[in-house]
Amino acid sequence: MQLLDIRNLTLELETPEGMIRAVDRVNLSLKEGEVRGLVGESGSGKSLIAKAIMGVLHERWRISADRFSWCGEDLMRLPYHKQRKIISRDIAMIYQEPSRSMDPTSSIGEQLSESIPTHLLEGAWWQRANARKKRAIALLHKVGIRDHQAVWHSYPYQLSEGVCQKISIAMAIAKNPKLLIADEPTTALESTTQAQLFRLLASFNQLKGTSILLISHELETVARNTDSLSVLYCGQLVEAGDTETILKDPLHPYTNALIKSVPEFQPELAFKQQLYALHGSIPTLQHLPIGCRLGPRCPNARKECVKTPLPERVQNHHFSCHFPLSKVQ
Amino acid sequence: MSQLLEVKQLSKAYHKAEGMFRSKKIQALLDINFALDSGQTLAVVGETGSGKSTLAKVLVGIEQPEQGEILFGGSPLNCRDYQKTNHLIRYIFQDAARSLSPNQKISDILHAVLRYSTVLNEDQRNDKIANTLKLLGLLNEHGNYYPHMFSGGQLQRVALARALILDPKVLILDEALTALDPSLRAQIVNLLLDLQQKTGLSYILITNQLRLVRHFADQTMVLHQGRCLDYGPTLDVFNQPTHEYSRKLMKSIQF
Repeated sequence: MQLLDIRNLTLELETPEGMIRAVDRVNLSLKEGEVRGLVGESGSGKSLIAKAIMGVLHERWRISADRFSWCGEDLMRLPYHKQRKIISRDIAMIYQEPSRSMDPTSSIGEQLSESIPTHLLEGAWWQRANARKKRAIALLHKVGIRDHQAVWHSYPYQLSEGVCQKISIAMAIAKNPKLLIADEPTTALESTTQAQLFRLLASFNQLKGTSILLISHELETVARNTDSLSVLYCGQLVEAGDTETILKDPLHPYTNALIKSVPEFQPELAFKQQLYALHGSIPTLQHLPIGCRLGPRCPNARKECVKTPLPERVQNHHFSCHFPLSKVQ
Repeated sequence: MSQLLEVKQLSKAYHKAEGMFRSKKIQALLDINFALDSGQTLAVVGETGSGKSTLAKVLVGIEQPEQGEILFGGSPLNCRDYQKTNHLIRYIFQDAARSLSPNQKISDILHAVLRYSTVLNEDQRNDKIANTLKLLGLLNEHGNYYPHMFSGGQLQRVALARALILDPKVLILDEALTALDPSLRAQIVNLLLDLQQKTGLSYILITNQLRLVRHFADQTMVLHQGRCLDYGPTLDVFNQPTHEYSRKLMKSIQF
C-alpha cells in the first residue's frame, strides 16, 4: 500500500532578490515497509523535503504540491490541527546533530518519558507513571544502551554524540511510527558505530514493518542499506528507482558522476588513479541556472538543456534528462 | 637509507587538574613510531579520542612532545623553531571556511604567510602567489576575493594554497576531506594525487573514511587510545589486521 505519495512538491522562499525555488517539483513515494534513500549534496534540499513532510518548516516557506497524501488522505487540504495530529501519530524524525536537537535543560529520562504517547501505556491512571518509566527503560535497552541508570539522569551535553544519536532514535520509535525519517544519521559517528546504527534501523524495518526514509550525502552508505533511491541535485529530482538498477545503469549524468566518484564502486580503478569528477561546483541558491540545473556542469549538455526536462520513466526507473545516458551511447 | 620523516617513540600526555593538588594524566600518545618517504601517503585512522589530532599537532609544533624524537631528513626537528619547521610540514584544518579570516582578502592571507616566513620582497611575493594560485586551478583575480565569496570546494583549494605556498615537503590533512560533498571531494582528491605526482609531496591523511584510505594511502596506521595497533602497507593492514580492534574497524566498512 502506498504510504506517502508526493507529486510536484515545490518549496519557495521570498527574499529581497526575488523568489527562490529551493525545491522544484519533486516527486516522492514510499510504500509500506520500504526503505528509501534520498541522496543529494549540500543545498540540494533533502532536509527541506524531510521538514516539509514533518510540517516543521518555517512559515516563510511557501509549500505547494499537486498531491501530498499520507495513507490516501491529502494532508495539504486538511485543517492544521488535523494535519498535526496525523503527523505526530504516524511519522517520526531523527534530526541532524542529535546533541543539538535535544532539550539542553532537561535530563534524558524526562525527555524520553515525555515522548511516549499515553495511549500506548497500559493500566489505570495511577499506574501510568510507573509504566511510562518501564517503557522508557525498555526503549533504551532496545537501541543498545545497556546501562540505563547512568544515562537516565544525564543531560545531553554530558553524553557522546553516538549515545545521543541512539537516544534520539529511542525517542523517535517511542510512538511506533509508520514512517521514520533519518536525516544524515551517520555524519557525527565513527565507522563502527555507523554499522551498529544501520543494523538497528534494519531490524526495526524488518520486525515492525516501519518504512524508513534515509537521507544522506554519501551514496555508498545509502546504497548498501536501501531498497530504492531518489537522487536530488539543487532541488530537482534527477533520478529515482530501485537501488540496484540505478547503481547498475544510471541514466542521468549526475548519478553517473556520483557513482563513479566513489572508489568502492569502481573495482577496476587502479591505486592512486584519478577519480571521475564533474568540473565546477554546486551553484548557490541565489544563482541557480535556468532549465536543467546540472546544465553548466554536465558533460553532455546541449542547447535543449535550458528547458527543464520533464520526468520520464522506463518501467520503475524515473529520470529527468533530455539525453539520458543509455540513449547517447 | 634515511627517510624523509621519521618519528621514534613519540609520547604525549595531557595533565588535567582535579581538585587543588591532584592532577589526572591522560595519555594521548604512547610510543608512536613511523617513517614516511617522499611521494608517499600515510593514513592515520581511529575513533575520536584516539590521539589522531594530537599526533598531527605534535608534528606541526602546536603541541610539544614529552618523549621521543622527530627526524626530518635524518636530522632532529626542533618543533619550537616555527620559521623553519613550517617550511617543511604544513597543516590543513578540517573546516576551510572557518580557518580563513573572513575580513582579509585571499591575497592578504597569502602575503601574511610569506611575510612571516620568507625574505621575499613584494614583487617576488606577488609572483609566488600567482604561481601557487595557478597550480591549484584558481585564477589570479581570486586573490582579490574574500573567503565568503568562494564555494566549499574552492575554499578548500584556497586552504591548500595557503599550505603549499611555502613549498612544504609534508602536508597534514586533518579530516580535510570529510566535510566536502562527494563530487567536490573527488575533485580535491584528484588535485592532491596530481600534486603528489608532480612535486613528490608527502601526505599524512587523518580521516575516518576508510574507503578513501584504501584508494589513496601507501601506509596505514590504526590508533586506539593513543597506542598504535597496526602499522604497515595499506593492503596488509586492510587484509590482515593483527589486532582485534582494527579487525572490527576494517569489518565495519564491509558490513
